Amino acid sequence: MLSVSTTCPFCACGCGLYLLAQPGGLAGVAPSETHAVSSGRLCARGWGAHEAALWGNRLKKPLVNKHGTLETASWEDALDYVARRMTDLIKAGKPVGVLGSPRATNEENYLAGKLARAGLRTNNIDSCFNRLCAPLLAGLEDVCGENVPSAHIDDVERSQTILLTEGDLARTHPRAASSVLKAVEGGAHLITLGHLRTQMARVASLHLETAPGNEGEVIDRLLAAVLNLRLEDPNWVAQHCNGLDGLLRAVSSIPVTEGARQAAEWLGRAERAVILMAPPIAQPHQARRDAAALATLAALTGHLGKPGSGLLPLLPRSNARGACDVGVTQGYLPGHEPASDRSAQQRLRDLWGQQLAPGDGLDAESLLQSVSGLIVLADDPPSVLPIGQRAMAALAKIEFLAVLDAFETSTSRIAHAVLPIACFAETEGTITNMEGRIQEVHAAADPPGEATPGWLVLAELCARFGVGASYDSAGDVLNEIGVAVPQYARREPGMADSGRGAQRAEDFNGRKYSLRAAGAANLLTDERSTLLVRDEVFDWGSDPLVSYSPTLSRDSQSQRKLFPKGFVEIGQPYADELGIPVGRQVRLTSATGQAVLPLRLRPGLKSGVLVVPYAFRDQVAAVLGAEGVTAVRLEQA
Amino acid sequence: MQPIILTLQKRDATQWLEKLLSLGEVIAPVRGSGEDVIFSTPACADAVLWEFANPLHPPKRFVLPQTDPLVQIKHNGHRHEVEPIYDDSPRILFNARSCDAKGIVFLTRMHEMEPADASYLRRAHNLTVVSLACTTPCPSGFCVCTNSGPFLSDGYDVQLTDLGENYLVEVGSAKGHATVSCAQNLFRLATESEKVQRKRLEVEAKNRFGEETCHFASAMRRVSTGRVSDALWERMSDWCLECGACNFVCPTCYCFSVKDLGRNGGWVRCRMWDSCQYNAFTLEASGHNPRPERKERMKRRFFHKVSAQYYQRDAMVGCVGCGRCIKACLGTTSMPAVVGAIRKGKWHE
Repeated sequence: MLSVSTTCPFCACGCGLYLLAQPGGLAGVAPSETHAVSSGRLCARGWGAHEAALWGNRLKKPLVNKHGTLETASWEDALDYVARRMTDLIKAGKPVGVLGSPRATNEENYLAGKLARAGLRTNNIDSCFNRLCAPLLAGLEDVCGENVPSAHIDDVERSQTILLTEGDLARTHPRAASSVLKAVEGGAHLITLGHLRTQMARVASLHLETAPGNEGEVIDRLLAAVLNLRLEDPNWVAQHCNGLDGLLRAVSSIPVTEGARQAAEWLGRAERAVILMAPPIAQPHQARRDAAALATLAALTGHLGKPGSGLLPLLPRSNARGACDVGVTQGYLPGHEPASDRSAQQRLRDLWGQQLAPGDGLDAESLLQSVSGLIVLADDPPSVLPIGQRAMAALAKIEFLAVLDAFETSTSRIAHAVLPIACFAETEGTITNMEGRIQEVHAAADPPGEATPGWLVLAELCARFGVGASYDSAGDVLNEIGVAVPQYARREPGMADSGRGAQRAEDFNGRKYSLRAAGAANLLTDERSTLLVRDEVFDWGSDPLVSYSPTLSRDSQSQRKLFPKGFVEIGQPYADELGIPVGRQVRLTSATGQAVLPLRLRPGLKSGVLVVPYAFRDQVAAVLGAEGVTAVRLEQA
Repeated sequence: MQPIILTLQKRDATQWLEKLLSLGEVIAPVRGSGEDVIFSTPACADAVLWEFANPLHPPKRFVLPQTDPLVQIKHNGHRHEVEPIYDDSPRILFNARSCDAKGIVFLTRMHEMEPADASYLRRAHNLTVVSLACTTPCPSGFCVCTNSGPFLSDGYDVQLTDLGENYLVEVGSAKGHATVSCAQNLFRLATESEKVQRKRLEVEAKNRFGEETCHFASAMRRVSTGRVSDALWERMSDWCLECGACNFVCPTCYCFSVKDLGRNGGWVRCRMWDSCQYNAFTLEASGHNPRPERKERMKRRFFHKVSAQYYQRDAMVGCVGCGRCIKACLGTTSMPAVVGAIRKGKWHE
């Protein structure tokens, strides 16, 4: 039996595991006991990592649309076909774009960006996940000057205080949750912040309850408490921070509650503390400010620029960070430099030998609603974007849609060209975890049929647009990434041999932090109305690595079977207060529309709040409108 | 059979291994990625480790793979043909630790119960276990509490003990005999003083265990008589992240589910490792789940592991004291932690 060391493909913790393979294909998973991130601890998803590759509906042959139906084609014909159709659209002056993906490797994402910017001459390159990642990273950048996380997962375990803004860490990032549990067992103070009393909140020393979307208000209260109690080190702040006066003005009038005072003390007095930031519930602009306020809180309490302390943004999917780093993010070039940055443009022009297109380009949601030609790499926008089935309708209108994926998805089913690529278990490359650790993935099996590694397919496409892309291996692509993204050149020697991730160098010396408050939050504070919130916890049930796994898909599949029309969740006390029995159909009415669906119990949910799981957001699309949180009227249907 | 006790000079161990490698598949602890040690097929005799921390992933997968093809189902016109799939390859599991040898004994006894599991038993009967007694207990092991180490009195085909210059070679079965007879010129009969030295090493090892202990007897009394409060299960269940690692790394866990894998126009029916800690493990087709809450699943797991009812049937608790669940548990609910809490009636207080 073959044991191939690789990196877990699910969340952004980036655990180390072995894929076990037999002559017939993949057979199982074993944990890597001494891996720097996971130290032998895997979650249920990690233990089932081999299943989707084996059981999934795999794309095996290149397919192109001939006379209205998808037919098999040779690789040459399929690649030529994609190039010709895209070229025709560009010549006709129609907009085109590319979607990269945190399910793909750095090498694949980098080449997708190169194809877009140098080949198609467009800045329309983004990923459907950036909606969740971008505000966290931008908020960090607003305060620190760059978006590099300053804490690592194993710092959590050694922390004395942990502040967690909650999605539902036990479900989203189990390995990070593991470190939280071990820290709390060892006596650390855990402070959770959110509208749900989740598993983490139940073991917390303190739960700061907030209305969904109002997290910024609580963060500002914590900032006020720190300043009020003089927990900051004035000399350090004077030396390393800007904007203290503005911050004081913004938060000085906020009353300090007992909870905020206690939390501030624990943060301020801890030698080591980590703040874990979950993807936001608030609108992107507010989410960015919330993230910046959390970074400010870390700076004020002396936990930035100190090894073992700091902030860690909880990015949703395995290579979310890497995709951003190598340029799959709207408005940014590889290296996370603004698309308007002239020196970055020059560097890429020298590297790629092509003039770059001007402008920021469109984000994923706007992009698929406005381009005529789209290349999608390893993603299924309708299952990832909040607009759900409206994304499907938009994709269906696109004149030419090409999909590179290992798995059949709703997007690949309506594509005009399908290019089958190897999945994570069949390819070489790297992915970057939420700590910024660049880790290798290795092939433990052959891709099925004619499927071939994605970096090779993208290099072929680049070549068809006159962009130099001659690589002998994924390692060659990574070497080029090292030129485009200098942080990726600083890899520890021997990394390629050991299969271990190299960590990005992080230098905090001499850095200045810009202090910021979260500012006025969401205005949905009317105590009489009920708030409906879309659960931003990523719906793994719609991801091919879970939906195609017999073991991992059971929960989500049975939920979809039992509730084909979805449901909304309510806490028992609130259901009692309203006098509506759990299980009944309810009518939700908002300013934008209404929906009728059953009510289900969600233990620990705050009064006045209803949650709709991300998987069922389409069922309440009329009620939510363009928002993630909205006031609704609730009545028994 | 009467055990035959031999001696092998350390410098001849490589030669013996080379012989075994030339005869068939050998699985042994080898270096993995980084500092990992894993059970795998060694590239050469020198790759086999003799001093090592027991790999986190147990060797049970060589008798019970995580994905285990059981039956081939083929179309034949309007009919389906069903053919069992057997893995009859002879294998030698070399330098397995005592706990893992005992784990395989446990699994084999379970699979021998009627109706006997032919797929498992073919693999098990073709596996020769050459164990390496633990003269130094591992830091998180507690096999003394489960009578499954540090030395074995049965359950091995061959047991090796490091005597310094030599290995003592206890041959415990006909399969074991075959592994030494293929290179019999390397072995000689052990002397009495070597046998005495082995006994002494066993006693010394038993006195050198670390802090992990597991008082099964008192936990068994409480679990078997329903004297563990619901509130305690509920408190403990908040410290479990439902990863299933306790099941997967446990040398004695064998829960599974069955799924058909489409291949070449037919199907392969596969048995797959499953975890009794997963919500969907007992989920019924109706949507009803008899154990919908984690506390109920934990309670069930520990009833199976340590109750007197199962002890009577299996003649041992469902634990070989390897300590792997302590390392692999994403939460804090390893066997010693939960057994301790059951015994004291307290959790994290």
